Amino acid sequence: MAAATGGGGERSSTRERLLAALEDLELLARELIEILAISRNQKLPQAGEESQILELLIQRDGEFQELMKLAVDQGKIHHEMQLLEKVVEKRDNDIQQLQKQLKEAEHILATAVYQAKEKLKSIEKARKGAVSSEEIIKYAHRISASNAVCAPLTWVPGDPRRPYPTDLEMRSGLLGQMNNPSTNGVNGHLPGDALAAGRLPDVLAPQYPWQSSDMSMNMLPPNHSNDFMLEPPGHNKENEDDVEVMSTDSSSSSTLRKHFQSGWEWVKWNEFPPVDQLFWGLRCLREQGYNPFTEELDHLKGYTGSHQLD
Amino acid sequence: MDHLSSSQKKGKEEFSFLPLVHDIIKCMDKDSQDVHQVLNELKNKFQETRKLISSMPGIGVSPEQQQQQLQNLREQVRTKNELLQKYKSLCMFEIPKE
Repeated sequence: MAAATGGGGERSSTRERLLAALEDLELLARELIEILAISRNQKLPQAGEESQILELLIQRDGEFQELMKLAVDQGKIHHEMQLLEKVVEKRDNDIQQLQKQLKEAEHILATAVYQAKEKLKSIEKARKGAVSSEEIIKYAHRISASNAVCAPLTWVPGDPRRPYPTDLEMRSGLLGQMNNPSTNGVNGHLPGDALAAGRLPDVLAPQYPWQSSDMSMNMLPPNHSNDFMLEPPGHNKENEDDVEVMSTDSSSSSTLRKHFQSGWEWVKWNEFPPVDQLFWGLRCLREQGYNPFTEELDHLKGYTGSHQLD
Repeated sequence: MDHLSSSQKKGKEEFSFLPLVHDIIKCMDKDSQDVHQVLNELKNKFQETRKLISSMPGIGVSPEQQQQQLQNLREQVRTKNELLQKYKSLCMFEIPKE
């Protein structure tokens, strides 16, 4: 029995081996004491068995002490392992923290790199289609020449005039008046207009320099100016109705178009009169090679806007 | 030297049952009444030792397994230290080559 458990498995835990050895010791000690007690009572000498058990007991006791020593050593190693585990845990935390920071940094850098790349792309794009600043300034001058952005000196809050053409002014233009010529050149009936909430009497309607007939003449192509400008001014009830309809119901615009068409002389795009007889805007488009019958919008490529107004 | 060996001996005999068994035999030889007391002592010592073994830390595995675990742990600490050093020495602002 002692031999069976004594050599007992290298793989079994020290605790199991210790308990087994302890059990052996207990059994052996009990057996020895019982035998001794019996032999004392019966006065029978049984020296052989006694000494055998005693030897076994001594042997197992030695083994047990060795095992106990081993157990104490294992306890020390266990303590060391616990310290190491704590170190590992601390290192794990450090590494996780560091990885988190690295991840954040990577994210920030990736975003920055992406934005920088986008910027580089747009710089490259701008470099390819470079326009000199002089050209831009020239354009700006032209735009500001024909579209005033300064308020007139007499302008006060409440004045309906704006730095851009309002609906009212658009209708007051030549196209608006074409079918509705009135004596003072201003159409007072404008349903649907934002300004119409407090409908302006004709007297209060703003007068602009471009509404003068001289200016109007200059703005028109000479070929066509006579076609309708010389129509006798007068209130045309029928035409006014058309304007009303135009403002409220867009579906009836075809009848209007017919009406407009009657005042114009229509020419084919390719058979236009010489450019010096055209609106400036139209002239620009012609010179740029714009064609309204194609979907292409390449006519601005390479255009430098070098032509000048007379 | 003597002191060392005696303390070693004492330490070694701390878990020995032989002295008590010897006492019991001596008492039996003398027919002393102390034998019961010494028997109880032996019994108690067995109980206490059993309890002690149950509560001793780190003996749930064999020494070989424990050594293996210890090596694993040391290896882990070493690897993690290296990784940390690597992270700390990273050059985060390396200029990318065009």
